[in-house]
Amino acid sequence: MQVYLDNSATTRPIPETVEAMNACMLDAFYNPSALYAPAMQAERALADARRVIAASLQANEKNVIFTSGGTESDNLAIFGLLAMQREKGDVLYTAAEHAAVKNACLEAEKRLGMTAREIPLLPNGSVDLSALREMLSENTRLICVMQVCNETGVIMPISDICALRDELAEKAAIHVDGVQGYLRVPFSFKQLKVQSYALSAHKFHGPKGVGALVIRDGVRIQPQMAGGGQQNDLRSGTENTYAIAGMRAAVEHYPADAMQHMLKLKQLLLNQLAEALPETTVLGLPADDAHSAGHILNVAFPPVRAETLLHALEADGVLVGTGSACSSKKGKHSSVLKAMGQKPNVMEAAIRISLCPFNTEEEMRFTAEKIIEKVTMLRKFVRR
Amino acid sequence: MREVLQVRFGEIFLKGLNRPTFLKMLVSRVRDAVKETGGRVWLSDSRVYVSDMTDMDEAIRRVTKVFGVHSVCRAIEMEKGDFTALCDQAVELMRGHKGSFKVSARRSDKRYFMDSPAINMEMGGYILERLPDLRVDVKNPDVVLSVEIRDMAYLYTHPIMAVGGMPVGSNGKATLLLSGGIDSPVAGWMIAKRGVTVNAVHFNSPPYTSERARQKVLDLAKILSESLCGIRVHVVPFTDIQMQIHEKCHEDYTTVIMRRYMMRIANEIARREHSQALITGESIGQVASQTMHALSCTDAVADMPVFRPLIGFDKSEIIEIAQKIGTYETSNLPYEDCCTVFTPRHPATKPKMDIILEGESKLDTEALIAAAIEGSEVIQL
Repeated sequence: MQVYLDNSATTRPIPETVEAMNACMLDAFYNPSALYAPAMQAERALADARRVIAASLQANEKNVIFTSGGTESDNLAIFGLLAMQREKGDVLYTAAEHAAVKNACLEAEKRLGMTAREIPLLPNGSVDLSALREMLSENTRLICVMQVCNETGVIMPISDICALRDELAEKAAIHVDGVQGYLRVPFSFKQLKVQSYALSAHKFHGPKGVGALVIRDGVRIQPQMAGGGQQNDLRSGTENTYAIAGMRAAVEHYPADAMQHMLKLKQLLLNQLAEALPETTVLGLPADDAHSAGHILNVAFPPVRAETLLHALEADGVLVGTGSACSSKKGKHSSVLKAMGQKPNVMEAAIRISLCPFNTEEEMRFTAEKIIEKVTMLRKFVRR
Repeated sequence: MREVLQVRFGEIFLKGLNRPTFLKMLVSRVRDAVKETGGRVWLSDSRVYVSDMTDMDEAIRRVTKVFGVHSVCRAIEMEKGDFTALCDQAVELMRGHKGSFKVSARRSDKRYFMDSPAINMEMGGYILERLPDLRVDVKNPDVVLSVEIRDMAYLYTHPIMAVGGMPVGSNGKATLLLSGGIDSPVAGWMIAKRGVTVNAVHFNSPPYTSERARQKVLDLAKILSESLCGIRVHVVPFTDIQMQIHEKCHEDYTTVIMRRYMMRIANEIARREHSQALITGESIGQVASQTMHALSCTDAVADMPVFRPLIGFDKSEIIEIAQKIGTYETSNLPYEDCCTVFTPRHPATKPKMDIILEGESKLDTEALIAAAIEGSEVIQL
């Protein structure tokens, strides 16, 4: 039995994704900008995807910009929004942000003369709102916040951040990195007055290499690539119609009850672990907190090292992650866990279990059983 | 007229009666090296030649890595009868060069109508007339134009230095303890350079080490295999032994005892491979298990010579060679290897044999070694 529990790194494409891509490649391979009638099929594939994604976020479909994925969407938002600001000022990002956001903000210091500042986290992994209150001013140009933290599964208090912005920094734009939240946690442009939202298809059973940046009506961004002027001049380059069709299918077929289902599985797993291994340490908010997402569980069994446990589980078919997959090969402590003030021995032990709507209770029981077995065995053989 | 690669060998010249055997070996190694570039290889007049390859630069890259090759030259091969044609070709080779030059002729064909000094003078004069920017300096020239009169004539300017050493296979067989680190690939390379056929043993400790760590070692072996003319790697499961040592032996002694088990297993595999020696990448004092005292404790379990070509090298010197032979980047990838898994906080730097033996007496050494060898995987690269 293989249980794949690293869905925050990437997901397995569902058959509907593969079929939609196949059909688009075989029958609608035309350049969507071409003038003859068959090309309209390709154009329609783009329009359908725009409509479906816009509806899922209560946005206007003309404001959906297709990109190559999360990193490009974040870069386009950050540089695109800042380029439209007349004055230099502060760019704030939370200490939990993905490198795609954090490094783009730091780069904006060099390229645009902005001042990048990191918003601290609380020990539970959420944004320290009182610290943010101190940082906001009329000099604030942009606030970057993720919808869900990829490492801890904490749902960030975006409505509180919007309220603080309205109160203290009304000129500031807000960019939400929705890569780990899209479809798994509700989001609406109608309810939250943010300027832009980034998503990436391979995190919700779509293909890799495609994503979108969705912007609020009336918000202007500067394009970041010179070229043929596709997508209303905002993102040049022939649209990746196949991947976009696959992304649309993945959105349409994402199970409606996914959130409740995954939350139930996460609690089931955690209860079994906590019962057998009392020292189970959850990093982030408790699983029953309303701001804890159902699909990510970051948990540590010190002193068993995460990498060892990961390989031990792998031998029995259970695939989990350590921290964020992008940084786990660099051999450093997770900057998110560090910002939460975690001790080194806990950070070295933290594994990330991330679910998808297609996981089952049986898989959770199997996983719990394997983790308990491996942790109990490995605990005997740790560095003294 | 065509361009060929002239391959010169170094130390083989010093050999006496064995020389033909060594030469045959070298030709065969060069032949293996250029196989993929489709070259023809032959021996003539104490030189090895390669012709008709599809990619000259790739052939040079490969041949200069063959142990036993001293240097190679891109040479123009042509009929020797028409001396004016030779001179015209020499002018072409010298065109674009600046400063001083000399012509250096060698006449193996003693029936040729000009002797070497005459060729030097005539050809030198011919070049000077046509390329007036050049001047002759016979003592310290910037460029030497070599002319060899053999069955055919060969002209070339810049020899390209190769790796040297002796052809692999000319000097017995040894077993290398190959970790994923910087030192052991260099050690294996240095011994192979002396003509020794090398096979390797790698210790693997899942789940403490990952599939990537194992792949990294195979990647290193693959890089080495080009110079070593192939390498067989034994991947030995080592977790059980490490766990037992950790459980039963004195903490400060776990490293030295672990090294002794590695040595025992490598020794047994070497015996089965008909190797005559073991090779390690150790250097005195680099880490706790490489102090003089620790080395003598590990040596005690081997019943064949243990070659440590890096024993007197500093880390920076080892890194320099690793960069030269192309293993450094791969060695530097950050995957944990089995040696660091259970590193004690204060490993004994002057281990005492009685404490080692007392610890080892708690382990069923024979059974552990047999199980490890039984479970090992052999990969031919």
